[in-house]
Amino acid sequence: MKRLAGRGGLYGLLVVAAVGALFPMVWLLIGSLQTSSELYRGKDLLPAKPQWSNYVTAWTDGDLGTYLPNSAIYTVSAVAGILLVSSMAGYVLARIEFRGKSAVTFGLLAVMIIPAPAAFIAQYKLMVTLGLTNSRIGYVLILISAGIPISTLIMRGFFANLPKDLEEAAAIDGSSALNTFARVILPLARPGLIAVAVIQGLSVWNEYLLALVLFDDDTLMPVQRGLMNFVSAETPVQNILLAATAISVLPVVVFYVFAQRQVVQGISSGAVK
Amino acid sequence: MTTHPLEGVAASRPRVRRSPIARRRELMAWCFLLPAIALLAVFTLVPFVQAIVLSFQQWDGVSTSTPFVGLSNYRFVLHDTVFWSSLRNVLIFGVVGFVLGNAISLGMAVAVNRVRRGKAFFRTAFYLPGVFSVVVIGMMFSWLLAPNAGILNRLLGAVGASGLQHNWLEDPGTALPTVAAVFLWYHWGFGFILYLAGLQDVPVELYEAASLDGARGWAKFRYVTWPELLPVTAIVSLLTLLGALQVFGTVQVLTNGGPGNHTMVPTLRIYQEAFTNQRFGSAAAMSVIFGGALVLLAMLQLWLSRRRK
Repeated sequence: MKRLAGRGGLYGLLVVAAVGALFPMVWLLIGSLQTSSELYRGKDLLPAKPQWSNYVTAWTDGDLGTYLPNSAIYTVSAVAGILLVSSMAGYVLARIEFRGKSAVTFGLLAVMIIPAPAAFIAQYKLMVTLGLTNSRIGYVLILISAGIPISTLIMRGFFANLPKDLEEAAAIDGSSALNTFARVILPLARPGLIAVAVIQGLSVWNEYLLALVLFDDDTLMPVQRGLMNFVSAETPVQNILLAATAISVLPVVVFYVFAQRQVVQGISSGAVK
Repeated sequence: MTTHPLEGVAASRPRVRRSPIARRRELMAWCFLLPAIALLAVFTLVPFVQAIVLSFQQWDGVSTSTPFVGLSNYRFVLHDTVFWSSLRNVLIFGVVGFVLGNAISLGMAVAVNRVRRGKAFFRTAFYLPGVFSVVVIGMMFSWLLAPNAGILNRLLGAVGASGLQHNWLEDPGTALPTVAAVFLWYHWGFGFILYLAGLQDVPVELYEAASLDGARGWAKFRYVTWPELLPVTAIVSLLTLLGALQVFGTVQVLTNGGPGNHTMVPTLRIYQEAFTNQRFGSAAAMSVIFGGALVLLAMLQLWLSRRRK
């Protein structure tokens, strides 16, 4: 009996917490479907008639047709770059003995300790010097470099757990090192690559500080930066803002629901191991 | 390129003589590392060093001349009371993240780990806020916390607690705790996932042995779960603490440091000093002071957790 009550209490607690976690999102959706007079009167819980047109207005007024594709471009190219660079580095660190290996590993850890607040002013200055402010390439290069240390360490962990026999078999068959890496090793490390892609994909999609610093050209901004532009530009109509916000989270939520297993695995293997 | 069949074996033991094959492998290793090292050097290490150099210079963000000004940026920062109070504010974030965030993450992970049904749902739901961007979090909570139309005040009114209604983000007394609470809501899922992963790695035999010894609920937690989770605790503490101290977007979007700098945090102050006041030199000095403190803290924490082992 006491156990049963304990179990009920446990579920009660979890359900309350889940409501707490999900409610702000639901409330945002409700608000985004109200008319602005409903919104300001603040009496009704649900919209009398869902205003889907808010979403159309938000899409056009908020320039989401520009920002969302920009975000997609940055995310895809930065994640591709991170995967390529960090899988190569991770492989070497997991598998090959060479002089300077421990120095490189230590260097990676040290770079991870450098806090963003200590670097973003100088990163901005570097980009001014290189003429890479308001540049897609500049932004993506910084994003890749920010993702390398942790991704390399995750990939190193994955490669270290792969059996060595396959590489040796490939070597006996006369396969070159590069060929072995591309044809034998990378396919085996797919779970690791997916985990890194998912985590880095989320963080690149959500990046804000660098986008704030590097872009003032509207047509190049990713969605987070563009959304803030929209908020601060004119006296915003609240329900349209909420609709724009909802559109901007939609890709992330869909992605997360499908990829949540990898998100969880990636975070726990990346940080703990 | 032909490769020696025994290469894998040879590579795994210390070599005295360096064969051509070993040298070729070594060359390949550096080729594979080159892109990573080059990118990190140019976009992370060089700026880190440049930040230190810039802190002794004057720069308006546009011109090409950056004259040296000695320590004057540091003297300027020394007298910037907003910067110093922003450090105090962020310490509150740090303590909230470290103590409350850790406790909630751990407690919820233990709770979810105990249920049989719906584990996947709770895990997904609790981490969901963590995948949003700071801009989205800011928009969401500006809306929830709005003085009149905001649901929080409306709920308070509905349950007859209208005395508690507040302009949460604009009252100097409540602004900082409110932003800290939003921050907590946003971030506890991260530690939760790590603790949950850690809990799944605790060997079942330990619990069985503890049961045989007559340990129940709390005692099991105290003598089995807690010690087994210590490494995870060390990592969660470090990451949440550093994350909290570097908070930027949440604050910028919710209050932009206001009202009257009551929610100012160092990263935002550095940003404003550079991009609003056009004083990049003193912004760099701030970032050196603040970044240095963070590095020291991270090293201290690593050293402590090493020593405990």
